[in-house]
Amino acid sequence: MPPTQPLGLPRALQKREFRSTSAGEFRERCVVVFLAACGLTTVLITAGIMVMLITQSWNFFSSEFVSPREFLTGSEWTALQSKDLKDAKFGIWPLLSGTLRVTVIAMVIALPLGLITAIYLSEFASPRIRSVLKPTLEIIAGIPTVVLGYFAILVISPSLQWLTAGAFDTFNATSAGIAVGILCLPMVCSLSEDAMRAVPSALREGAYGLGCTPFETSVKVVVPAALSGIVSAFLLAFSRAIGETMVVALAAGTRATATLDPRQQSQTMTGFIVEMIKSENEYGTVQYFSLYAVAITLFTITFGMTLLGQMIRRRYQESYQ
Amino acid sequence: MKFQAPTIVFCGLVSLALLIGCDSKPKPAVKAVEDGDASSPASTLVGAIKIDGSSTVQPISDAIREAFIKIHPGVTVTVGGEGTGTGFKEFYAKATDISDASRPIQPGELEKVNAAGFEFLELPIAYDGLTIAINPENDWVKTFSVDQLKKIFAADNPAKTWKDVDASWPNQEIKIFSPGTGSGTYDYFREVTAGKGAMRGDMSLNEDDNVLVQGVAGNKYSIGFFGVAYYTQNAKILKAVPIINPEVGEPFLPTTENIASGKYAPFSRPLFIYINTESLKRAEVQTFVEYYLENVSSLCADGKVDYVQLPDDLFARTIENFDNMTTGTHFVDAEGNQRSGAFADLFTSENLQSK
Amino acid sequence: MSQATIPLPKAMTAQDPAAAAANARKRKRFSRAFYWLCVAIASVSVVVLAVLLVSIGVQGHSRLSSDLIQHSHSELEPEQSGMRPAVIGSLFVCVCCATAALPLGIGTAIFLEEFKPKSKVLRLLHSFIQLNIANLAGVPSIVFGLLGLSVFVHMFGVFGTIQVNKPSGWELFGVEHYYQLLSLEPGQTILVPQTVVNQTTIKIDGPVEGIDADGNSFMIQTWDRKSGPKPDTREARMRTIKAGAVGGSYSKHAWYYFRLPFGKSFLAAGLTLSLVILPVIIIASQEALRSVSPSLREASLGLGATQWQTTRDVSLPAALPGIMTGAILAMGRAIGEAAPVLVVLGAAVAKNTGPENLMDSVVTMPVLIFNWAGRPQDVYQQLAAAAIIVLLVVLLALNSVAIYVRQKVQSP
Repeated sequence: MPPTQPLGLPRALQKREFRSTSAGEFRERCVVVFLAACGLTTVLITAGIMVMLITQSWNFFSSEFVSPREFLTGSEWTALQSKDLKDAKFGIWPLLSGTLRVTVIAMVIALPLGLITAIYLSEFASPRIRSVLKPTLEIIAGIPTVVLGYFAILVISPSLQWLTAGAFDTFNATSAGIAVGILCLPMVCSLSEDAMRAVPSALREGAYGLGCTPFETSVKVVVPAALSGIVSAFLLAFSRAIGETMVVALAAGTRATATLDPRQQSQTMTGFIVEMIKSENEYGTVQYFSLYAVAITLFTITFGMTLLGQMIRRRYQESYQ
Repeated sequence: MKFQAPTIVFCGLVSLALLIGCDSKPKPAVKAVEDGDASSPASTLVGAIKIDGSSTVQPISDAIREAFIKIHPGVTVTVGGEGTGTGFKEFYAKATDISDASRPIQPGELEKVNAAGFEFLELPIAYDGLTIAINPENDWVKTFSVDQLKKIFAADNPAKTWKDVDASWPNQEIKIFSPGTGSGTYDYFREVTAGKGAMRGDMSLNEDDNVLVQGVAGNKYSIGFFGVAYYTQNAKILKAVPIINPEVGEPFLPTTENIASGKYAPFSRPLFIYINTESLKRAEVQTFVEYYLENVSSLCADGKVDYVQLPDDLFARTIENFDNMTTGTHFVDAEGNQRSGAFADLFTSENLQSK
Repeated sequence: MSQATIPLPKAMTAQDPAAAAANARKRKRFSRAFYWLCVAIASVSVVVLAVLLVSIGVQGHSRLSSDLIQHSHSELEPEQSGMRPAVIGSLFVCVCCATAALPLGIGTAIFLEEFKPKSKVLRLLHSFIQLNIANLAGVPSIVFGLLGLSVFVHMFGVFGTIQVNKPSGWELFGVEHYYQLLSLEPGQTILVPQTVVNQTTIKIDGPVEGIDADGNSFMIQTWDRKSGPKPDTREARMRTIKAGAVGGSYSKHAWYYFRLPFGKSFLAAGLTLSLVILPVIIIASQEALRSVSPSLREASLGLGATQWQTTRDVSLPAALPGIMTGAILAMGRAIGEAAPVLVVLGAAVAKNTGPENLMDSVVTMPVLIFNWAGRPQDVYQQLAAAAIIVLLVVLLALNSVAIYVRQKVQSP
């Protein structure tokens, strides 16, 4: 936002004595080096994450009881349950499917709701309604996830049990999924809305001029024009839901199940990491290091998602100049 | 420029907050002494004590801690509840002074302690009754025999539904909530139900016993087990199942009397604290353990913590061991094998195996 | 060509006006229905927020009292539990997080926005850093927690592990080692300064110099049963110990006590959180810098100011409100974040004070809420709700500051 207030003459220009000295140039150079170092630190963080994940999970994969193939395809995960390494089963699928169940439920809620709310905000809403709806969404976006987890076990799970006469477990994928959906909704909404507002109004006017109804204008003209932004918003929300921790740690349960039943417990990848860290189950054992194997899977998935989102945005972004 | 001032103010505030915040720590009660009040002088004891281990013993240690730091405000006591196994691991890594345990030290752990080169005191402090709890809406289970529990919990061919345990029970999946494998509760339960074998893998595990309570209270077809303390605190939302004593053949509930008299078998067990003798040279640890032993029985008797106090003769031996600084364990013999048998029979001076 | 030769498009001639009108009506109805669907769905979020706030309010209102922010967590008397250490702890962690993340984040943003590269290699580096930041923003916070655990808490084990009974790790400054001895007066102790490093105990046989709780030094008297009765005054007893008594080591930490590795300290938690919010701060600062009108910059450069002078005196002041808004929102995120703190510090909540030195552990509000919310007793459930209300109020206050800053800038 450009400041509308006149800024006055910049201080650098008010200084009478403005000289370029070698000391000044040296200082300038130092500053640039410092700033570049700041920038490189962020690269260092990524590198640190990768090194940490790879070296630590090597402790897991180098064990004779673990095979990468079983890790990727196995359908049993008993790292927490099996004290004996020989009996332990390390197949990522129960955790992965648990994560997917929660994420899919979250997306079923967040995507349509977020997108339609965004359409409403950008196409129909009057300034007064906007002034209510926008802060509401901002507040939801600012709610700490642990609060939503508490909400899931306080309200969502009991209501589900009450509605279905007890068919749901106390901790289940659905209540966690709904809470994660609430969490992602503002994100989907605000990113999609930004994309739609960037569509020039000439397109809308053209559509109306041709006799389109508001529905046709928004769904058949504006949404396709903003599609790259909307899709990358979806992907961001998806990776956010996959990485969400506190809600699932509180509400999704601690049993890794490979099932499609959303009424059952479902330990997710993040939920498992928290549980393993909390129990500090035999620090240094293969079971313990399995958490890093899970973390590296999680990291790979979210990393891929963000890269994909970036690519879609760059490749398909329509620019109206 | 007008925006320059906020920057400086902001940076100043940040650094100031850091300084003030650190300085404005609550003053230890040492100051109170200076202000006079010589009649009841505040303690000048200082230091830090680290405790970790069983989440079953944690409520006792927490209760003692809270009372202790009221008398000795200069001492910091941290109590963790990561499980007996983890507790011992930190104990032999010398990261803790005191280890809470809901089972005796095992031969492997003893070796590690010996390798680490220190000695320890083994002090039993109370009895616990391991409670098998079901949902209050569960109206079909009246008692459990040990064999039925084996069917539910042991790994070989576990019962999927309640019907598999008893033909007259409903054909509904059993939902099991168990403490984590790092806990002594898990170990003890496994020993009773599965012997040397493993427990089934498809239980929901959680280190936090409170979460287990929530899980059992939330579903009609669930079952769980934990220390009696967690049951007593949540007696409104849980139902304890009487266990048939294999020797007497009659069912008993985990009540104080039944646990103390040994009728609640095979699920009553002793709780311990293990103390590093090097730490015991520190005044604050010494004072803390003395305080622990002075108060633990009355805490149990007053119902402040829901465990059962040790019988006087056994507790006298605990105190004797502490006073004489008798180190070593009673539960591993000279060949390094675990002794088995009733606690009262094992806890004798003949069995004490020092390094 | 005359107009008559061009036939009207078939779509126009073959259309039945009645059908067209009906179709139009249908489309209009459909559009209207869609509008109401939009309204209904948009109001869902308002309803959700209302349900959330009301349910938490109903659950927690009975525990909202001054006790809540004055007491600390209690197992013995849950009714007396409070969150004072957690509030202080969150504040400390947040300040630590801001001191680390703000300079780094704003510096990176300036580097990316103000110092556009000229050579091809540098341009590549720029876009690489940019891509990297976008990726960091998508990394789950728990992975940052694991990073913090390796880097800050254990420091890869380079400096050894933290043990009891002896000084461990690399203690750089802010620590004095003593032996603590019990005097004959119950509850009163005497400190003896440690002279030999790594000797963890001391045995007192003869008179040694010691200091009392007020810091006065004096000669310690020894006493044993053979030498007669105990001294009769309190002062004398406080300066006398049993002959042959053994003292264990005690480390006195000043507030600036600094040690490597950081262990489970608030410093480690704050630095880990700074990793989490770093991408947020960078992206917000970049937006703010980008929205500064280029003409301002060009004018400054044209008048002969260097790039850094232009940045320092022109762009940065103009972008500061936007940066501040972003920073405040990021702080809100840091205060509410639980997962990385849980990984770094563990879930223990029994602590009666805020951190007392840089290496002291800490309880934060979200971790306390996580702990309370996981307990089945009603009291703790209500306490969790009440703590949530406090946390939300703090966040709301932060957000209103951000909105205030933004509006102050937007409207002259």
